[in-house]
Amino acid sequence: MEATFIAALAGLTSIGAYYVGARALGLPSARLGAAVGKMLESIGMVLIFLAVNLTASVLIVLAARGLTGTFVSAYAADDAVWLGLSLIQGLAFQAWRGSAAESSEPSRG
Amino acid sequence: MDGTGRGDRVCRAIGLAGVVLFLITAFSPLAYRLNQWMAGSPRLVASDAIVVLGGWISPSGTLSLESQRRLDRGIELYQRGLAPVLVLLGPGADGGPTEAEVRAAQARLHGIPADAILTETRARTTREEAVRVKALLQSRGARTLLLVTNAGHLARARPLFEHAAFEVRGVPSDPLVESDAPESRIAQMRVLVKEVLGWLYYRMAGYI
Repeated sequence: MEATFIAALAGLTSIGAYYVGARALGLPSARLGAAVGKMLESIGMVLIFLAVNLTASVLIVLAARGLTGTFVSAYAADDAVWLGLSLIQGLAFQAWRGSAAESSEPSRG
Repeated sequence: MDGTGRGDRVCRAIGLAGVVLFLITAFSPLAYRLNQWMAGSPRLVASDAIVVLGGWISPSGTLSLESQRRLDRGIELYQRGLAPVLVLLGPGADGGPTEAEVRAAQARLHGIPADAILTETRARTTREEAVRVKALLQSRGARTLLLVTNAGHLARARPLFEHAAFEVRGVPSDPLVESDAPESRIAQMRVLVKEVLGWLYYRMAGYI
């Protein structure tokens, strides 16, 4: 029931956003597919940062255990904060790539 | 640049996979089914000992929810007369009381005699737990165990204890009840992914 309610509500607000975008703001419907593609690219970048962060934290913990011979907890690699931090990193990196691509466009004629 | 570079395509594919996995996890019973599959079929038969693996304890001495669940399951198995010994594991955190001793105090409050409780407070990983339980139970001639931990963890813990020459009957501590709440499903999938990665690491390291 809870899942159905959430899915239905998210569906309704998505349809509402489409109408606001297309009718009130005059956004071209034909560009929605490209926008979704850009959104997926940003999420992909966030997931890459997440994978790199988690892999690095696990490797550092294992290296610390091996080098010092003492126990170092791997809980640091299991913290939900990594998702938020990776979100910030990934979105910032994508924005940087996007702005670099925009600024290089005029010079290519 | 029209956004169709190789890097963009890779990011898009990863993003699509992430979104699809997120939606399937949140809005389908996938996590519950996987958890059930990893738990296997519990064999609640009389054994030589009940071994309750460590979860986590706060420095102030409060057991984590998972630690408490495992303990409750272990106490229930003992009270059903399935084994004469209850082995409780878990170190302390930052100088606080040890998880094993806090659990032992709770077990005594439930009427389990002190001489039926064994504690091990030094093991910090599942692998260390298997080694130390072997040392603890070997002299008692224990060969069969009821091993209590969460379903995802059983996949990694069971072969470790089998390597330590025990016959293992896994008993999941999870309430195997399907939740309709997307947040619970995502939390369950997170635990499973973590355990699968742990299992892969143990395989690669040759521990199991």
